[in-house]
Order: sequence, then C-alpha cells, then structure tokens
Amino acid sequence: MTVPTIQTAGLTKGYGDICALKPLDLQVAEGEWLSVMGHSGSGKSTLMNLVGGLDRPSGGSLSVGGQDLSALSEDGLARFRREFVGIIFQQHHLVPYLSAVENVMLSQYFHSVPDEAEARLALERVGLGHRLKNRPGELSGGEQQRVCIARAIINSPKLLLGDEPTGNLDHKSTVMVLELLKELRAEDRFTVVLVTHNEEVAAWGDRTIYLDDGVLVREERLRS
Amino acid sequence: MFAAKLLPQLFAFFGIAAVVLRGYPERRRPLAVSVGAGFAVGAAVAFFLFRNFPGSFPFELIRTVVGASFFLFWGIAVTALYRSSERALPDASGRSSRLDAVAAPVIALGAAVTAGALAACRFSGNDAPLGPVPALVLLLVIGALLAAAGFFLEAKLPEALTVSRAGTLGGVVALLLLSSSYLVRLDLFSPLSMKVMKGCHDFVHQFMESVLIPDHLFVRPQIWGYIGILFSKEVGFWGGMVIWFTPFLLVAIAVRFELLPSVGHIRQGAQRRKLLAAAIRQRRMKLIVPLLSLVLMAGAAYRSSFPDVEYWDPKPIPVAADPSGDVFIPRKGGEVDLSDGKLHKYLLKGGAREVRFFVMLTPTGKLTVDLDACAICKPDGYGQGEGSVICYYCKTLIPLETVGKPGGCNPVPVAFSEKPDGVHINGVTLVNAWSTTVQSTGAKKEGGK
Amino acid sequence: MKRFLNVLWAALSSRALTPVVIGFFFLAYIVIAFFTEEALITLIGLTGHSLLLGMVVALLPLNAACRIVAEALRFRKGRRLLTRPETEPDPALFDEVVALDPSPAPSLADFQKRLAAAGYRSRMVGERLAAWRGVSLAPVRVVFLAAVFCLFAGILISVQGRVVSRQSIIEGEPLPTVTGNGGVVERITLQDGTGSILRKELIIKVGAGGQGGAREFGIYPPGLMDGAFVYPRYLGVAMEYQFSAPDLPLFRRAVVLPLYPPGREATEELSGSPYRITYVVERPEDGSDPYATGKFNLGFKLIKGGDVVLTGRVPGGGEFVRDGYRLAIPDARRMVVTDYVRDYGVILIWWAGFLFLFGILAWLPMRLLAPRREMFFTPDGGSVRGWSRSEGRGRKHAAIFHEILDLIATPRSAATQVEE
Repeated sequence: MTVPTIQTAGLTKGYGDICALKPLDLQVAEGEWLSVMGHSGSGKSTLMNLVGGLDRPSGGSLSVGGQDLSALSEDGLARFRREFVGIIFQQHHLVPYLSAVENVMLSQYFHSVPDEAEARLALERVGLGHRLKNRPGELSGGEQQRVCIARAIINSPKLLLGDEPTGNLDHKSTVMVLELLKELRAEDRFTVVLVTHNEEVAAWGDRTIYLDDGVLVREERLRS
Repeated sequence: MFAAKLLPQLFAFFGIAAVVLRGYPERRRPLAVSVGAGFAVGAAVAFFLFRNFPGSFPFELIRTVVGASFFLFWGIAVTALYRSSERALPDASGRSSRLDAVAAPVIALGAAVTAGALAACRFSGNDAPLGPVPALVLLLVIGALLAAAGFFLEAKLPEALTVSRAGTLGGVVALLLLSSSYLVRLDLFSPLSMKVMKGCHDFVHQFMESVLIPDHLFVRPQIWGYIGILFSKEVGFWGGMVIWFTPFLLVAIAVRFELLPSVGHIRQGAQRRKLLAAAIRQRRMKLIVPLLSLVLMAGAAYRSSFPDVEYWDPKPIPVAADPSGDVFIPRKGGEVDLSDGKLHKYLLKGGAREVRFFVMLTPTGKLTVDLDACAICKPDGYGQGEGSVICYYCKTLIPLETVGKPGGCNPVPVAFSEKPDGVHINGVTLVNAWSTTVQSTGAKKEGGK
Repeated sequence: MKRFLNVLWAALSSRALTPVVIGFFFLAYIVIAFFTEEALITLIGLTGHSLLLGMVVALLPLNAACRIVAEALRFRKGRRLLTRPETEPDPALFDEVVALDPSPAPSLADFQKRLAAAGYRSRMVGERLAAWRGVSLAPVRVVFLAAVFCLFAGILISVQGRVVSRQSIIEGEPLPTVTGNGGVVERITLQDGTGSILRKELIIKVGAGGQGGAREFGIYPPGLMDGAFVYPRYLGVAMEYQFSAPDLPLFRRAVVLPLYPPGREATEELSGSPYRITYVVERPEDGSDPYATGKFNLGFKLIKGGDVVLTGRVPGGGEFVRDGYRLAIPDARRMVVTDYVRDYGVILIWWAGFLFLFGILAWLPMRLLAPRREMFFTPDGGSVRGWSRSEGRGRKHAAIFHEILDLIATPRSAATQVEE
C-alpha cells in the first residue's frame, strides 16, 4: 500500500483568535490532482501554505511525503520546501530583470546548483524553447505562467501546489496551462494541489474539496 | 603569568586532538586515548632529555622533529595535489582505509608526543615555577583533561565540517609550529628565512653562471637592481613565507581540484544537482581547516618575527686602548663580573671608528671575546636569551656553547689573552676585525629589535 | 618480460616520477645544508661526480620524453575516435562514461542540431555521434614536456660535463686557445649599450690570422670558439711595469690586474723584496671611461712592510721618479678575464626557457577561451553509451552531456524545439 502524499488528522491553524482552518482530516494519494475550492477566507490558501511548508500548523498532524512537518526544524522545513514542493502563484513572482532561463536557474540555485542546459530543457518542455532569453515583461501572461511552471518543476518536486495559477489568464491560456500541467504530471508523476475559485479549472482534477470558513464542507471525486 | 605562557602549547595540543579526531572520525575513541597518552609520553621524554642532556641538544632534537613534520607535510601536500589533478575518481579499493589504519595512530601519537615535549619545554627555563616532577604530573593531568575535552567538544562541531587527510596533517603541523614559535629556542621561521636567503643567493648565482649571463659590470643598474632583490634579506623573508604557507595552499588547491562525483548515470536533473551541490559544499567545508592552518602559520611567522622575549642587552661600556694599543677589561669592576655567564658589551673608539664587542663566560667555562656583529648580517648586535644569544638582525639563535666559534651567524671571535686580573685585547686587532668583517657586510645599523 | 616492460613503462611515463626525483634532491639539499653552508654547490659537485646521482637526474629528461610519447599516443587515440568508426573508446581517456537502455532506440543524428545550438561541432562517424568544441591542450602539454626535457637534459649535461677554463684576452696578443692558434686580438672595444638590458657592450675583435679567420665576440649571447662559449667575466689592465728603488735594482714584470671599474684596487707583490704596489685606474676628470678610451692613468701606492712610502700617478707609457724610486709603465692595454665554457647543456637550458615561455603564452588563452570538450555517443545493440571529457569548463560541458543523455533516455516531443 502506498503512503499518501498528504495526510492530515485534526489539522488546525489559528492566527490569534481567528481560526483559519478547523480540524481537517485529509488524504491525497501519490500522483493525485486535488482541486481546492472555496470563497475568499475559506482557508484554502492556509491549507496550501501548511502543506507547502510555508507555515506551521497550530494543531493536529500533518504529514507530507511521509515527513511530519510539525516535527521538522526550520532548516528541515526549508529543505522540504526546496526539494519536495513546487509552487505556482497567480502573480507569477518572476524576477523582472532576469531572462526566462535565468528565472528557472534561480530556482535551481536555491535548490542546489544552476544548470543552464537543464533549465533550457525545462522551458522547452513547457513550450518556451524559443523564448529562453526573453524577460518576463516581454512574455504574455500565459507564457509567464509557463515559465512559472518550468520553475516549479525544475527541481523535480513530488508535490506541485498551485494558488490560483490561472486566475489572471484568459480562457485559451488557461486551457493551455492546465493541459501542460496534465502532461507534465503524466510524465513526472507528481501530486497536484490546486487552489481555485473556478469550477471549470477545478474540474481538471481527480477530486475537488470545498472549504468554507476553515471547514471541509464537501468532497467530489471526478475521476479515480 | 606562567600559566598564560603555557597557554599556546595547551591550545595547540587541544587543537591537535580536535583535528585528528575530526580527520579520522571512525577511530575517535582509540585516537583520543592515543593523543592523551602521547602527550604524557612526550612530556616525560622531554624532562628526561633536559635532565640527562643539559644544553641545547633537547631543543635541537625537538626543533628537528617539528621541522621534519613540516617537510613531511610538504611531501603530503604535493602528493595530495598530484592525486587531485588525476582524472581518476577517488580510490574505492579500500587501500586508503588500510592506509588510514596506519596513518591515523602514527599522526595522532607523533603529534601528541611532540606537543607534550613542546609543553614541557616551558618548564625548562629558570623561571619555571615547578620542579620537573610536579611539572610532569601537572602536564599529565592537563594532557588527559585536554584530550577528553577534545573528544567531547569535537563531537559538538557541525557534522558537515570535514577535513581531508592532507588537511588533517596540515592542521596538526600548523598547530605544532604555532606552539613552537612561542618558544624562541624552537623557532623555525627565522632559520628557514636565513636558509632560503642563502639558498636563493646560491641558486641565482649558479643559474646566472650556468646560462652565462653577464656580470653586473655589463648590465644596466636598473636591471641589476631587480636581480639584486634576489640577493636581499627580504628574499629570505618572503621566500620563507612562500615555503611556510605554500603546502597549506597546495592542500586547499587539492581540495578545490577534487573531481566532483560522476552523476551521468542519474536521469533526474534535480537529483544530479543535489549530489553535485552536496559535493561542492563538502569541498568547501574541507577548505576550512587548511585556511585556518594558514592563519595559524601567519601567527607563527609573526611570533617568530616579533618574539615576546626580553633579551639581556647591556649598554656598551666605553673603553680605550692604552698607548701600546692594549685594551684591558678587568675581571671584576663596578657592576661587571665577567664570570657571571652574562654578555658584557664594550665600545672601543679608535679615531672615527667605533668597535662594539662583548666578553662573556660560556657554559664550557671559558671566556670569549667577540665582536658584537657577525660576518653575514648588518651589525645590529646580539642579545642574550635562555641558553643562547640572538642576532637581532636575522633572529638566528646561537647556542651559548658555540659562542666564540667562527662561522655562519656566530659573533666574530677576536684573539685575546686572559690574565688573572682580566682580559687583554689588541686594539688594532679589534679595529681590523671590525673593518674587515663588519664594514664589508655593510653599512648602517638597521633597527632589528 | 612483457609485464616487466609494462611496469617499467608505467614508471617511466608516470606523472609522479619528476616530483619524486625533485623531492629527492630537495631532501638531499636539506640534509647537506645541515653540514655545510655551501649546500647547493656541494650538491652540484656530488651530482657531477657521482654516476648514480647522475642517473637519478637522468630520470627527469627520460620521464619527460616518455610522457611526450604517452601524450602523443593519447592524442592519436583521441583523434581516431573522430575519424575512424571502428575505434573503440578507451574509458581511461574520459571523465564520464554512461550506459543507457532507451526505448525506443534514438536516432543520434537528431541531436546534432541541439549540440550545434550549444556551440559544439558534431559528426556522425559510422553510427557514432561525436561532438566537440575548443582546442586540445595536448600539443601545449607536449611543448611543456619538451621544455622540461630540455631543462633537465641541459642541467644533466651541464652538471656532468661542464669544463671551464679561465683566460685573459689581451689586446694585441694572440687569442688564448687550446691549439695556440687563435689569431691576434686586434681590438677590445667597450662602448655604451644601446638596448634596455646591457649598460656596456664589449666587442673583442680577432684578426684573420688565426684559426677560424677574423671574428668578433660580444657579451650576449656568447660566441663560440673551438666548441666553447666565450664568457667575458671581468675587465682589467694588462701592463708591463718597471720598478727600481734605492735598495732594489730594476724589477720588471708583465701582469694582468683586475682594475676595472676605475677606483678598484689591485695589489702586486714584488717577490723577493719588501715592496708591494697597489694600483688603481684613476677616474678621468672629463668623466670618460678609461677602458673605452684606452688611456689608463694609474694611481699607485708603494708599500714597504706596513708603511706607505710613496704615492703617485703614472700614465700608461709614462714613468714616475722621486727620491731614488722609479716606476715606469711602458705598456698598458685592455684585458678581459674570460671563461671558455665547454657546455652544450646551456643551449638546452636556453631552449627550455623559450619553450616554457611559448607554452605559457599558448596555454593561457587556449585554456581560458576555448578548452577542449568532447562527447561521444555510441550505439551498442539497443543501448547507447555516452562518453564525455573536458579540459576546462567541465561543469557546463557535463550539463550539456547530461541533457543529451536525458533526451536519449526519455524522448520527448518538445525536445527538438530549440531556439535558433
């Protein structure tokens, strides 16, 4: 039996008196694509931050890739983020004065050592082999997001987190990005957790969970 | 005060324990015991030598051992560089681990014995607060405590801080040299500089003759000035520095040249990079000990150049020759007692010329009269330290037993006649000796103290 | 026997041999330095007289020669990989050798475009893909090894065979030679140097009468005579003097005295008498160089026992008379103390200098700007083997090598999309 990539039991997160995430039991299987839906403030970004090692839980247990994140030291957590997780944001967060390939190499640098050939190959995989030397400002929104995907997958993460990755894209670009994620997941077999407002985007996943006020209110399996 | 004087030797020993244990982590426990025992043996042997061989022999022996360890390290450093520049990846045959089984205890014991002897040297002087037996007992206790401290504290060092085989030896040698540099009689850097100066002079001379380069007569002064640099004292100092530091740099370069592991068989880029990054990080960590060793060596060279020792250096007493040219120094007069074993300096003024000389009783029981200058250096004169006199110019130590013998950097001996009332010296002999030897070595007095 | 020869070859062509031999001599120097102040001269003397030590020195040029052969063989092996499909790569020549089992088997020719984009030239050699860029340092290594060969062969010849004979070359006298037939030295000229290195230039002009005909010898590079280098060392004056004193009948002698530069003193003992004369060439008031003009004005000091009895000045060709003393110098000529050095090792040492200089000038730009990097991909049944080596910029080269291996292992549609 395979160990789930994400496993939580009674996971909570509070900020002072505010409880952003109420006790949550969740399992995400290896290679699964989980969509997380909910309104603003429903706790979906909190959940993403917790499973991505960006924040620490207030209570309960959280295991990602077999590692108990609450037991990890700060160094351990940083290593976990470097080696286990890839994140795609809605706002891209690309360095504006670096080229596409340099943006990807930056991620390699923080992980280990830069390798231009490999970064180039990653950009070719996301269909940007012809835009290697362009800076983010010279790329369209969809292309920028594809650079983000290349940057997120360059360190071969086991878990890819997307925080509204298509939120700023038109429909055509959205489909292209999601199609790309699907292809890459098929090749690299990573697990995807994608936070979105959009039902249509969520439908690309294997399963969707709905959060409301920090509580898992509904779960829908689309494909197994 | 005395405890503070012993600190460098104890610090060096503690450092040696830590470096050896970090260098051979798989043999920590037996090595820690070896290091503690070695220190005790070294101290005991040194006390035995001091008791049975009074004079400079024990110091010469210990200095030779430290010097030999430095040259051995030179060989190891060159070998390390040679091996790291080979294409072959590190040997996986187990040969190196078999070599370690021999090398680790030899290095640990050898270094600890020497460190113990160096610490014991502190108790050889007249200012030692303890007799040999209590001193030995004290050193045995301190050695055991420091070895234990090394054993426990080394384990607290970051795990990533590794050290190469050559780096381990380098760290040990640097600590030994630092330790010995605090003992003026064991100093190695100054004699090394002198040897380098002489060696460089001979080499350049031989080289120019062998490739038939014209003499200075035919060469432009500016060009000859450049060649002249190779004959200067500075070459001794800088050449000494090069020899002093180079093996540690070689080890650092060897570490830098170590081949990264072959990762071509791994088909995941991130995994490859992770391995490479780990290897690069490990390589950087291995640089720490050689670079720290460089700092220790700089400290040792500094101590050698500016030893923290006060020499007996009396103000020269003016004397004059009688009408027959005889200079008479009474055996006892005023505060002077020629038979007290101390250096007694005199100044003879003959016309425009001044001659500085000294009279002293050597440990062999004979009086000697010598110029306050040697035939090699500028006449900065001599000071008297523990068991030796030192040439202020080149910092060479001359054992008291050999004062009165000509050659090298020894004070130039002058003929004299010893009478019951004192010492008679021919003034012309003094002036001539000063003119022929000192005037030719040049010039004006330079500040060497 | 073959095994013995292999071991012998491995030892003689080993990179370790030269450092070991140099280390041996360095140690010998240290040991000798314990016993004598003249350690280097003693070591050279010992090496010159001992056959065994000479043989140890001989290992150095021998090692360099063997390494030149080994380097050439390696280089040839490497070149053949680029030209002959049947040549089997030697793993010892490579930094990385990787075997892959891709499915399906790729077409190696597809990667040429990708390698070209990374700056590599490539070629299909049979079914093998060879790619390379940069210039091989092997020829420069051979130059360095040749320099090492020349240096140590030169030192060996020098140490073992140098013969030096010191002679005085005097203007107007026959050039001293072994055969005694050197021709007359017509003129010795000392003039100001024109280059940036030599302050003075010395020309020894020999007339046509002797063996070898008319010729000139300068300072550098030294000329050759009878197979020996003519190495001028010091200048001086060859003169004849006549001296008489109230208590000494006429004393006449021809001498050579090292009296250059002006101001330098030389003492002449008048054997069988209590006198000695200290000579010095006086510096002319007009600032000219007496050696250049040939006009020597000789100051002298006549010493009897320990007392100076007379001082004065005599021009070449003149005399000094006072108080019953007479000193005449009827003839004073230029003279050069010269070493005849029979030593062909010098030529090799010069060559070593040139080769080292050339080697460094060639190595530096090649290593910095275009180090050699090579990779090969050889199909082996269904599998593929990748071979890689580099002489610089290894990390970047390895990255490209790994990229191609990744693409071979996991063929992807996007892989051919390369930025032009």
